[in-house]
Amino acid sequence: MELTLNILGAIATIVLAFIVGMSYGGIVRKITARIHNRMGPPWYQNFIDAFKLIGKTTAINHGIMQHFGPAFVMVSSIVSLMFIPILNNGGWFTNLNFDGDLIFLIYIMVFGPLGMALGAGQTGNPNSAIGVTRGLSQMVGFEIPWVMALVALMIQFDTTSVTGLMEAQHETGRWMMFTSPFAFIAAVLAMLGMFRYSPFDIVGAPTELASGPVSENGGKYLFTMMSSGSIFAFVKLTLYVDLFMGGADNLIILVLKTFALYMVPVLYGIVSPRYRTEQSIKFFWGWPTFFGFIAILYAVFV
Amino acid sequence: MIYLIFVIFLGGAALTWLSGKIHPILRDVVFLASLIVPSVLFYMNVEVGQTVSFSLIGYKLSWGINYLGYLFSYIVVGLGVLAGFYAIPAMKGKKNLGFFYSNFVLSIMSMLGILFSRDLISFFIFWEIMTWSSYLMVVFQGKDVQKVGIKYFVFSAIGAYAMLMAIVIIYSLNQSMMISDLVSSFASFDPTMQWLIPILLLVGFGVKSAMMPLHVWASGSYSHAPMAYTSIFSGALSKMGIYGMVIVMVSLVPIIPEGFWLRETIAWLGAITAVGGTLWAVAQDDAKKLLAYSSVAQLGYIIVGVAVGTPLAMLAALFMAVMHGLFKGALFMVTGAVERQTGTSNFTEVTGLIRKMPWTFLAALMSIIALAGIPPLGGFVGKWMLYESLIGSSHYILVIVIFFSSTAAFLYCYKFLFGFFLGQEEKEWAHVKEAPAMMVVPMLLLAFGTFVLGAFPGLILDPINAGMQEMGFASTQGKYWEMSMLFNEWGDQIMLQPILYAIIAVFAFFAIFLTIKGFKKTRYVTTKDISSSGEVPLEHENLTFSVNFFQPFLRTVEPLMKRQIDKYYNEFGRGMEALFDFTRRVYTGNGQTYALYAVIFIVILLMFKNTLFGL
Repeated sequence: MELTLNILGAIATIVLAFIVGMSYGGIVRKITARIHNRMGPPWYQNFIDAFKLIGKTTAINHGIMQHFGPAFVMVSSIVSLMFIPILNNGGWFTNLNFDGDLIFLIYIMVFGPLGMALGAGQTGNPNSAIGVTRGLSQMVGFEIPWVMALVALMIQFDTTSVTGLMEAQHETGRWMMFTSPFAFIAAVLAMLGMFRYSPFDIVGAPTELASGPVSENGGKYLFTMMSSGSIFAFVKLTLYVDLFMGGADNLIILVLKTFALYMVPVLYGIVSPRYRTEQSIKFFWGWPTFFGFIAILYAVFV
Repeated sequence: MIYLIFVIFLGGAALTWLSGKIHPILRDVVFLASLIVPSVLFYMNVEVGQTVSFSLIGYKLSWGINYLGYLFSYIVVGLGVLAGFYAIPAMKGKKNLGFFYSNFVLSIMSMLGILFSRDLISFFIFWEIMTWSSYLMVVFQGKDVQKVGIKYFVFSAIGAYAMLMAIVIIYSLNQSMMISDLVSSFASFDPTMQWLIPILLLVGFGVKSAMMPLHVWASGSYSHAPMAYTSIFSGALSKMGIYGMVIVMVSLVPIIPEGFWLRETIAWLGAITAVGGTLWAVAQDDAKKLLAYSSVAQLGYIIVGVAVGTPLAMLAALFMAVMHGLFKGALFMVTGAVERQTGTSNFTEVTGLIRKMPWTFLAALMSIIALAGIPPLGGFVGKWMLYESLIGSSHYILVIVIFFSSTAAFLYCYKFLFGFFLGQEEKEWAHVKEAPAMMVVPMLLLAFGTFVLGAFPGLILDPINAGMQEMGFASTQGKYWEMSMLFNEWGDQIMLQPILYAIIAVFAFFAIFLTIKGFKKTRYVTTKDISSSGEVPLEHENLTFSVNFFQPFLRTVEPLMKRQIDKYYNEFGRGMEALFDFTRRVYTGNGQTYALYAVIFIVILLMFKNTLFGL
C-alpha cells in the first residue's frame, strides 16, 4: 500500500514538473517573440509540439546508443526530481528527498548530458559531436561557481542535504539569498550557463550547429528529450528556490518563485548575442568564481 | 605455507620461461597455473596475523599479512589473475613471450611480497623486484627505450635511493628492521629525523604513485608497456605506492610535531597532480596516453584522501584505490583490445567501432561511468566520500580544486568513448571484429565489479574498515557507512539502493516506451545518412570529427598547462650534461696536459701551504 502511494506521489510529481516545465517553455517563447516585436506562438504551443511528436512514427534509427540516449536523459531529469523537495512540508511530493544530498544531485544531473552526448555521438553527425564538446567544456565553466556557492552554504549550515538547508532557513526565518548573498550571486551567474539561453547557447547554436546534439532525433526520441528538458528546467528552478528562496509552502508560491527566477536567464538571454566557447568558459571563471570565493570566505569568517 | 606461495611464484616464473621453448600452449598453461595456484593457496590457507620469520645474513626477516595488506591483495591478485587471462589472447603472436609472462608473474609475486613484508629489508627487496620487472615491461616493445625507459628508470632509482637512505637511517637509529618497531619508537627520534624519514619514504612511494613532481615517467611508461601489463601497472602496481603512503601517513606523520604541514603539502601536491593529469589527459589524442594521464589524475585524488587522513577521507581513498584498480584495469584492457583488432589506439585514426565491438563498448561505457563518478556505479561512492570528507575537514579550496578536476574529467571520458566507438563509421574499419571472449570477459567482470560496488559498497568498505581499525582508527561501520548507505560527518545520508532502483525503473520505463512499436519497425541507417544542414553528404565526404576535439577548452586552460615540470627536468638534465661535458674536457687524454695539471697542483700547494697546513 505504502509503495503504491509512493509511486502515485512520484507520478504526480513528474506530471506537475512536466506541465509546469512545458508551460514555462511556451511562455518563454511568447515573451521572446514579444520582445522581438513578433506575435509568437500561444503559450501552450509546447504541448502541441510534444503531442505531435509522440504521435509520429519513427522510421529510422542510428543504432542502440542513439536509441537509448533519450532514456538516459530522462533518468537524469526524473531521478533528480525525485530527490528535490518540491514543497516545504513534503506531503504528496516527498518521494526520495531524504535519501540523497547536494553532491549526489550535482552528479546525477550530469548523467543526462552524458547519455545525450553518447546518443548524439552515435548518429555520426559532426554538428552533434561539436555541440557535445562545447557543452562539456561549458559545464566545466559553470560548475565551478555553482559548486563554490553550494560549498559556501554547506559550511555555513553544517549540512549537505537540501532538506537540511531548507530547515536551516526555516529556523532563521530568512532566505539564504539574504543570509549568504555572495553565494546567491555566484549561483545565479552559474544558472545563466545551466539554462543555456543566450549568450551561452553554444551547445544548440541554431545557426552554427543546426541544434547540435538533438539533431538526428525525431518523433518519440525528440519528445522524450523535449519533456526531459522541461522537467529538468523545473528541477533546477525548484532547487534554486529551495536553496536560496526559502522553498515554497504551496504550489502557487512555488510557481511564482520559480517563474521569477526563470526570468533571469531568459531576459538576460533575449538581449545578448552568443559567446564563443572560450569566452563562455572565461566568463564563468571570472566574476562568478570571484563571488564564489567571497561566498566561501564569508561563510568561513562571518 | 607462506614460503610455498612464493616458491610457486618463483618456480612458476622460471618454468613459464622454460616451457615456452617447448610449446606455446604449455607455456600459457604454466603461466596461468603459476598465477592461479598461489592465489588460491593464499586465500585458502593464509590467515591475517599469521607470520613466519627467518634470518638472512644476520637480519631477522618476517613475513605475514595484515588487514591492510589483505585489502590490497584483492586488487593485486584479482586484477593480476584477470589480466593474466586477458594477456594470453592479447599477446598472441608477439615475440619473447616467455620473458613477458615470467616478468608478469614476478610482478604479481613482488607486489604480494610487499604486502607480506613486515620488515624493511624484504620490503625493499620486493620493491626492487617490482621496479625491475615493471621496467623490463616498459622497454618490452623496444620503442623509445632511450626516452621513456630511461625516464622511468631514473625516477625509480631516485625513489629507491630515497627509500634505501631512509631504511639505513632507521636502522642506525633503531637497530631493528621491523616496521612495527619503527612505528613504536618513532616518537623518540629527534625532530630532524622525524621529518627526514617520512619525507624520504614519501619520495620513494610518491614515485610509484605518480605524485607531482615525481609523475613525469608515468605517461610514457604506462603507454609503452603492453596493454595487458599496463592494466596491472596502473591498476595495481601504482597502489603499492599508495599502500606505503598510507602506512607513513597514518603511522608516522601524526607523531611529528607540526606534522600537519606535511599532510597539507602532500594533499595539495595530490590536488595539483589531479588537475594537471586531467588537463593533460584532455589534450591527448592517443588512448594509451589519455588513460596514462588519467591514472595520474586519479592517483592524485587518492593521495589527497590519504593525506587529509580523517576517517572518512581514508575510507574514500582506499575505496577509490580499489575502484581505480577495477575501472582503469578494464579501460586499459579495452584499449588493448581495440589496438589488437585495429592496429592503432589513436582517436584520430579509428572511429565508429560500437557496432563492431559491442561488448568492448559495454565494458568501456561502464568503466567510464565509474571513472566519471556518476551514480549508480561505484566511482560515485568514492567521489562522494572524498568531497564530504574534504568539506567536513575544512579543506574548502581543496574541494573546489578536486571538483574542477573531476568535472574536467568528463571531457576526456567522452573523448575516449567517442574516439573509439562513436562517430562516423569508416570503410577502413569495416572488417573489424569483436575481440576474443577471453579478452572481453575479464573486462566485463571488472566493469561489473564497479556496478556491484556502486550498489553495495559495504562489501569492500568492510575490509577497508578492518584495515583502518588495525592502524588505530575507530570503527567506521554504522558511523560513515552501512552495506548500501553512506553518511557524512554531519549525519547526512545517501541511500544507494533506492537510487539504483529509481534509476533502473525510469530507464526501463523509457527504454520500453522508446522501443515499443519502434525499434523493430525502424530501419538502421548508416552514419552517412544524416541531416547535414539540409544537405545529403556524399559517400566520399569525410565527416569524422576527431582532430582538435576540445580545442576551445584547451585554449582556455592554456596558461595552466604552460608550466610543465617536465620542462624543468629536461632543463636540469641539459644543465647536468653541460657540466659533465665540461668535466670531460678536463680529461683531454694528452700526457702534457696532465703534466700541466700536476705542476699547477703543486704550485697551488706551495702558494697556499701556510694556510693549508699551518706551516
